[in-house]
Amino acid sequence: MNDLTRPRVIGQRTPRIDGEFKLTGRAGYTGELHAEGMLYGYPVPATIAHGKLEALELDEAQAMPGVVDIFHHGNFDTLHRSPNSMGHGDQVSEVRLPFEDETIHYHGQYVALVVAKTFEQARAAAYRVVARYRQASGAVPSLLGRDDEGLPIESEGSSRGDPEAAFSGAPVKIDRTYHIAAESHLQMEMHATLAEWHDGGRRLVVHESTQGVVYQRNAMARIFDLAQEDLEVISHYIGSGFGNKLFMWPHAVATAVAARRLQRPVKVVLPRQQDMMSGGNRPASRQHIRLGAGRDGRLTSVIHDSITETSLVDRYIDSCGSATPSFYACDNLAVSQRILPVNHGTPCPMRAPGEVSGIFALETAMDELAVELKMDPVELRLRNYAESDPESGLPWSSKQLDKCLQSAAERFGWDKRNPEVGSMRDGDEIIGYGMASCTWFAGRQPCQARVELRADGSLFVGCGTQDIGTGTYTIVAQTAAELTGMPLADIEVKLGESGLPSGPLSGGSMATASTLPAVAAAVRDALDALKEVATGNGGAFEGLSADDLEVGQGGLSHGEHRVSFAEVLKTNKLASVNGQGSTAPGAEQNAYSFRSFGAHFVEVRFDPGISRVRVARVVSSMDIGRAINPPAARNQVEGGIIMGIGMGLFEQLEYDPRDARLINSNVADYILPTHADAPEIDVELLDYPDFEFNEFGARGVGEIGLTGVAPAISNALYHATGKRHRDLPITIEALLASS
Amino acid sequence: MRAFAYSRADSVDHAAHRITHDAAFVAGGTTLLDLIKLDVLKPKNVVDINALPLKRVERLDDGRLRIGALVTNTDLAHHPEVKRHYPLLSQALLAGASTQLRNMATTAGNVMQRTRCPYYRDAAAACNRREPGSGCDARGGLNRLNAVLGGSDACVAVHPSDMCVAMAAIGATLTLSSADGEREVAFGDFHRLPGDTPHIEHDLADGELITAITLEPPLAPAGSYYLKLRDRASYEFALASAAAQLSLDGEMIGEARVALGGVGTKPWRCPDAEAALVGQPAQIATFERAAEIALRDATPLEHNAFKIPLARQSIVRALREATRLARDEGKQEGQV
Amino acid sequence: MMDDSAHSPRPSDETVRLDFTLNGEPRTIEVAPNAVLLDVLREQLGLGGTKKGCDHGQCGACTVHVDGLAMNSCLRLAIMCQGQQVTTIEGLAKDGQLHPVQQSFLECDAYQCGYCTPGQMMSATALLADDRIGADDASVKEAMSGNICRCGAYKNILEAIQQARVQLGHDATTPRKEDVA
Ligand SMILES: Cc1cc2nc3c(=O)[nH]c(=O)nc-3n(C[C@H](O)[C@H](O)[C@H](O)COP(=O)(O)OP(=O)(O)OC[C@H]3O[C@@H](n4cnc5c(N)ncnc54)[C@H](O)[C@@H]3O)c2cc1C
Ligand code: FES
Ligand code: FES
Repeated sequence: MNDLTRPRVIGQRTPRIDGEFKLTGRAGYTGELHAEGMLYGYPVPATIAHGKLEALELDEAQAMPGVVDIFHHGNFDTLHRSPNSMGHGDQVSEVRLPFEDETIHYHGQYVALVVAKTFEQARAAAYRVVARYRQASGAVPSLLGRDDEGLPIESEGSSRGDPEAAFSGAPVKIDRTYHIAAESHLQMEMHATLAEWHDGGRRLVVHESTQGVVYQRNAMARIFDLAQEDLEVISHYIGSGFGNKLFMWPHAVATAVAARRLQRPVKVVLPRQQDMMSGGNRPASRQHIRLGAGRDGRLTSVIHDSITETSLVDRYIDSCGSATPSFYACDNLAVSQRILPVNHGTPCPMRAPGEVSGIFALETAMDELAVELKMDPVELRLRNYAESDPESGLPWSSKQLDKCLQSAAERFGWDKRNPEVGSMRDGDEIIGYGMASCTWFAGRQPCQARVELRADGSLFVGCGTQDIGTGTYTIVAQTAAELTGMPLADIEVKLGESGLPSGPLSGGSMATASTLPAVAAAVRDALDALKEVATGNGGAFEGLSADDLEVGQGGLSHGEHRVSFAEVLKTNKLASVNGQGSTAPGAEQNAYSFRSFGAHFVEVRFDPGISRVRVARVVSSMDIGRAINPPAARNQVEGGIIMGIGMGLFEQLEYDPRDARLINSNVADYILPTHADAPEIDVELLDYPDFEFNEFGARGVGEIGLTGVAPAISNALYHATGKRHRDLPITIEALLASS
Repeated sequence: MRAFAYSRADSVDHAAHRITHDAAFVAGGTTLLDLIKLDVLKPKNVVDINALPLKRVERLDDGRLRIGALVTNTDLAHHPEVKRHYPLLSQALLAGASTQLRNMATTAGNVMQRTRCPYYRDAAAACNRREPGSGCDARGGLNRLNAVLGGSDACVAVHPSDMCVAMAAIGATLTLSSADGEREVAFGDFHRLPGDTPHIEHDLADGELITAITLEPPLAPAGSYYLKLRDRASYEFALASAAAQLSLDGEMIGEARVALGGVGTKPWRCPDAEAALVGQPAQIATFERAAEIALRDATPLEHNAFKIPLARQSIVRALREATRLARDEGKQEGQV
Repeated sequence: MMDDSAHSPRPSDETVRLDFTLNGEPRTIEVAPNAVLLDVLREQLGLGGTKKGCDHGQCGACTVHVDGLAMNSCLRLAIMCQGQQVTTIEGLAKDGQLHPVQQSFLECDAYQCGYCTPGQMMSATALLADDRIGADDASVKEAMSGNICRCGAYKNILEAIQQARVQLGHDATTPRKEDVA
């Protein structure tokens, strides 16, 4: 039963246990929650990106029907900043507090929060707030189109061998620069907070759409100077986040202050425009890649220098080169990272942060090298295959990239590819085939969980992590079902409350690998407690030792004698037994390197007569260890592919070069893939459980599907047109130049 | 979103009486509410005209098709008369917006929809169309979406409709009603070029409403094609679109109609290009010459020069497809 | 400052009466003239199943049925629904039984975060009842393109719709509404 190498429930197709709530409209996402006497807040965003707020004229707004109060720099509470430490779990997205001073650092920075009785009234009044600014010159609208050096970030560098010498001596060289525009997470549910104070302002309950209830609790405790016990952050359903809900933003602080001052619950849902201006973005990047190789295709030098944007208020580092040192076997390598402050809202991690950008540059450069060498791009990758991690020198816990490449190539029909540019046609369209490898590191965070086995026949699991749509509720239940033999229907899972045992952020593809071991430990702990009861005085198995008992089908047994958990408890007149689990990565971290790998093969169709490109087909193979719930895991990869099409062809935040104002902060002008853009997708999940990583063999799957998609598209386009696209997104403008 | 008073009109007269400079009709609401929420339109009174009897599509004795102002984009696109005789219009409608929006959007509302220029839609930006005399932030800004045809120093905003491009090519008349009675305006004269007065967008006076649009009789036997080019495959406004319609006289082009979307400050009919097609062989070289002529006067801004070749491509391809369909049509006619 | 004191009456203090049918039940409520259907559903009537993703007709998360047609509730004044039948996701399941579209979304894992999902299903049910929209994958994808899914569950959504089509059989293609006269 406890043998996780041959599981019954884990690894099986399992419809989501929260599915019915989501599908009937009963899942309560933050924005639709209500509290007795609740007021509505509507933020007023700065309309300039750089300068000073000179005056706020509030009289008209204040006199509007339903308006209760307006908060701004002139009347805001004095608070403390969060220490903003990842190690202490109180990291925030923007460290500056709302209305802290009157300097405007970016378009959309909050200058006031209007609070009124209804949503309509709050919005109507917010429109009547008049803000006067003094615009400063010298706004930095973007990293793109400039050649600033930026600030070096030593912590993100890596080097080995003598890459400069190896590069200059290399028989074949690639030396290219790549640009990627800033992107918006555009998670479907905007940031939202509902703040409610209790006990005369001593206890704060915050409902927030967040990927990290514990982090937000810790940060708010520091900001409001409260004990952690006096603060609860709740997030049961999250309309996804993709990274911009990992760490708290200033709107949550403004909402909590308003609620405290007005002694009533206050709800703020950011309008989409504001969500895009001040709720996080993937920063633009410029990357310089130099590859040196022998005629046989073996890399002799890899040099990867990146610069990414940060804001004027924070130092966010989007580490583009972090996968590069581990990607290919090469003795000479250098990776460096710089950042440039620009007048944008602070950037933050966005799905596969850093690596997805770095892999675009590296995997496009590899394609350029393959062309230069007249070598098949798959073959080039196999020639430089890293059998162990060249960065750490450690063996991989499990790496099946070669199988991914083989399998995906075969299913795709790569052998039918005529390598000659523009040689494959179908009517008006030129067909292009391209591929890229992909990777994402496998990380694990400490985690705690609590389990209750109850006399009513149910099992409760609680953990302070979240389900952002990846299916965490379901895999936690699967784990409990696996270890107890109970049906899923009898298992109650509670996540998304900071008062539960501390769980991990829902980010970095780490939630599964972090959470399940703690849940398993807690289940086992509860089962031990139950066995103790069963074998003790008056117990159902009195006199036996715990080791004599088997666990299965929701009961304990000894030979033919089987008693359900509920009966065991009832026999001793107990309501429940509890179990705790607390797990963390251990010694394995020093013995192995852990990474997931995969490959995407892409068919594009380019119609030069009308400059139109469409991605027609994507075939992928992913080595992610074991998939706990395969359809949900595959769904993650498929979603990553869709997002990769957006990154490759459509998505860019556009800042006016004159004044750094964001001009496309809406869902129409910021272009996302639609149903009609979805290609035929075939995703295979290889099943090589990684038991070195954890007993479940799972490495997590949230990010990897996105990595490698954009370069596979650009490589396919090169195959179709002979024009190399080194800047993302690849727009119609760029395509016209190749027709 | 600002506050406003709401009332329902129960007759055309009633509606016309209600409408003053600070009032607005609401039909589908998909333009009006969008822009009120952005604080771009600020009516004090909103007059709901959905109860008016303007939902009929009828074939007139002279062969024209009269479309009530309140016929939805969905119903019009699927109307049997439209599908049979004006497939161009059906295609254009279905290329616009989304299923949900087309279910709400009305024929008159579509004609009256406003530009999608980001600076028009940003109440904090300078825009002569929204606020006369404030300047134009688009000219020197991010003007990828703006017009290459029909712009002025004051304004370079595109008229974003797809439906109107097809109507411009087909030829139509608008019926405008007021307390003083009805008047008719040719479709091509309804939308104004921006000139020095971009805020005057069309030929509709205070106190008037559109009650119907009447299409010219269909060309026959003819082929037509609406081609919309954009970044993604659906649910996006045109970067360039072409409505092409032609009849064939053997291998020669008989009549031809061409109109462009996504590139002009109004739905853009191309009479010179049409003239260059008539009597010429229906082949790519002819189409390319027509496309050259259609974009002859185009002036690019910093970020939208690509629209000129893109619009040419849309014309050539749409004409090629229209020709193919005209040939099929001709064959079928021959068989009867 | 706490404000419960009376202001002089202003337009947005006034409300208008709305009689309509919501999920099969006749309702009479008072709404502000500028109140949008989406906000009235979510904030006034406690029906949070209909989502707000953009508030400007750009995402489809707010899709509901008005007299059987899919519409964006964010671009419709509540008061415009006078006398109409409005159906939201809360009205899709009947007698505790999931609608075949909900069931197939569950089985096909046609969602991740679930936030676009009510809108996807409202569009899907309207589409399956509309014989003017083709049944092939390309037609369905085009007709569903007004519903953005940022999680990118498009493949499974398509599969779920086509599976529900089979389940609904003939019922699915009964014409929804007579064509215009
Ligand atoms: C996200 C989005 C995407 C879109 N994509 C496209 C697209 O790709 N292609 C496209 O063509 N369109 C597109 N549209 C625009 C859409 O087609 C228009 O909003 C719609 O046609 C307007 O019709 P309506 O009935 O909703 O107008 P309303 O919003 O009700 O009215 C619009 C204007 O017309 C006035 N008006 C309405 N009826 C009359 C009348 N009878 N007489 C006089 N004035 C009247 C109103 O006062 C108002 O000023 C899109 C819209 C949105 C929101
Ligand atoms: S909220 Fe209505 S379409 Fe996005
Ligand atoms: S399921 Fe998350 S947006 Fe569609």
